[in-house]
Amino acid sequence: MPKRARGALSLLVGVALVATVAAACGTTSENAGGGPAEPKPCGGAGGKYTIGVSQANVAEPYRERMDADIRQAAAGVPQFTVNFADAQQDNSKQVEQVENFLTQKIDLLIISPNEATPLTSVVKKAYEQGVPVLVLDRKVNGDSFTSFIGADNFDIGRKAGEFVAQTLLPGGGRVAEIKGLSGSSPAKERSDGFKLGIGGRNIEIVASADGDWLRDRGRQQADALLKGTPGIQVVYAHNDPMGEGAYLAAQDAGLSGIKIVGIDGLPIEAGGIKAVEAGRLAATFVYPTGGKEAVEAARKILVDCQQVPKVQGLPIERVTPENAAEVYARLNAGS
Amino acid sequence: MIAWLFRFQSLFGLVLVFVAAVVFSPVRDGELLFLDSGNLFNVVRAMSEIGILAVGMTFVILVGGIDLSVGSVLGLASVGAAVLLVRQDFGVLPAVLVVLAAGLVFGLLQGVVTAKLGIQAFIVTLAGMQIARALARIWSGGQGVEIAYGDAPGRAPMAFSLLGERTFNGLVPIPALIFAVVAGLAALLLRVTAFSRHVYAIGGNEKAARLSGVPVNRVKILVFGLCGLLAALAGIVHAGQLNYGGPNDGSMAELDAIAAVVIGGAGLSGGRGTVVGTVAGALLVGVLRNILTLNNVDSNVQLLIIGLVIVAAAGLQRLRPAAVG
Repeated sequence: MPKRARGALSLLVGVALVATVAAACGTTSENAGGGPAEPKPCGGAGGKYTIGVSQANVAEPYRERMDADIRQAAAGVPQFTVNFADAQQDNSKQVEQVENFLTQKIDLLIISPNEATPLTSVVKKAYEQGVPVLVLDRKVNGDSFTSFIGADNFDIGRKAGEFVAQTLLPGGGRVAEIKGLSGSSPAKERSDGFKLGIGGRNIEIVASADGDWLRDRGRQQADALLKGTPGIQVVYAHNDPMGEGAYLAAQDAGLSGIKIVGIDGLPIEAGGIKAVEAGRLAATFVYPTGGKEAVEAARKILVDCQQVPKVQGLPIERVTPENAAEVYARLNAGS
Repeated sequence: MIAWLFRFQSLFGLVLVFVAAVVFSPVRDGELLFLDSGNLFNVVRAMSEIGILAVGMTFVILVGGIDLSVGSVLGLASVGAAVLLVRQDFGVLPAVLVVLAAGLVFGLLQGVVTAKLGIQAFIVTLAGMQIARALARIWSGGQGVEIAYGDAPGRAPMAFSLLGERTFNGLVPIPALIFAVVAGLAALLLRVTAFSRHVYAIGGNEKAARLSGVPVNRVKILVFGLCGLLAALAGIVHAGQLNYGGPNDGSMAELDAIAAVVIGGAGLSGGRGTVVGTVAGALLVGVLRNILTLNNVDSNVQLLIIGLVIVAAAGLQRLRPAAVG
């Protein structure tokens, strides 16, 4: 390595470094003193409204269903045009897409954030420009949004834990946990909630692994857990597809007595409710998408010129073989 | 002239796409939405992280290598910056230095394994990709690290938040500025130094370069180090923009970076490519994505179109006259 080259390289390193820090220091804060949103005057029933939907990742069945729910509900409101964007599980891409929506001057933003913190500032920006923002499923930080609509991941984990403790293993027992994608907030919350739910009942989580929310990863991990850890009675999967994977692994290992509990309970053919009905899952818990409720809130804000509550918690429902058919029919009513 | 056209194909591509974007721009209140200055800077801001990665990737590809680890290193660096600032109470400068050093060392190590042990870069950095991702998840404790600002312990210094801000009357995003500085310096490094001659020589014919006294291993190791360093810089920018250290962030970013380099006219066999081409390649993808989104083109169709652009760019290079290297 010649001296000059080394010099140039260290120059590059040095200047890049200085640029990062120095550029950051000599600027004025753009959002300083941004007050609460000055809402645009409400257009009422005579107006036409464009709604931007920023979805974290359409590749997940749950979020695909959320978009479908929004699409279907919005079809019933003639004033609405809905544009969808898919961030493909990428925080940066989602920020970019919300900025594009703002460039398009949408009338209302519906966003299901990939993660809370990274999306907070762009949501705040939209809100401060007077665009009503409905946040679905995952909250952003602070209170710079119009309304949050969603269920609670910690709570749904707790309910799953209580079900295991009270119904499946009343005398205590051994549980394996197939977790969602490591580093994602619902995986952590569904895990923490579950631990609270089974607390003090002599139930032990004897093994756990990351299934990345995917059916095939869930199966692969369950394969190993069931072979490596004897005496597992219940598998708790952070979502239904991983639960289905665990079911396949249990069948494969000849362990048909193992009970599997999933989460999400999507009311679709390939969803968890049908799996419960068919006996592959012992139970699942409906984590509602909030799509219908979001369009309803949008209608209230834009067409009816009304206020909506800041937080709209959605109920979690337990699905067991007894009520599976009924829940499925009810959630698909009107579609 | 023809040679120049091929050499900077992405620059012309960028101009073409830009003109098309103006033509197809939606109009609102008599204004072209695409040409709105806020929108144009959004495009550059959105591409700045990928752009910084792509600049580093250009060097690696020039020596005939590839670095699949940059996306994971971006995630690792964002986690590192967040953890150091928030949980370890580091100042901005020490935190940035430590993270940059970590990226540099990570890259250098990959370079050492590649050059000294003679394992293909694809394999070494494929392993590096997994390792960096694992380190990011372990370091973060399995959860995204939120960066809150303030003077109290457990909060990051305000200065760091400026990475998410804009300068020059709130117009120019800081990340775009950093991208510009990095690209400028890299272009300079690839034009005027002996280092640059070595890089192109190795990519053109490694054996010949070795025989003619080019310190091949050392240059390769440095190139991987530079790529790791820039990936860490991109991760710092990422953390500052999003106020968040994301253990899963940056996945697939390596592919976006490689795409930018290829659209920029580089060949994966090495020896061919420029920083200017890469920067234009990155911006081309950014403008394309922007105009498609502004026209509400379905995201899957967008992926399709960008895929076709990559194929077209590579195809154009096949047509390139052999003599103009």
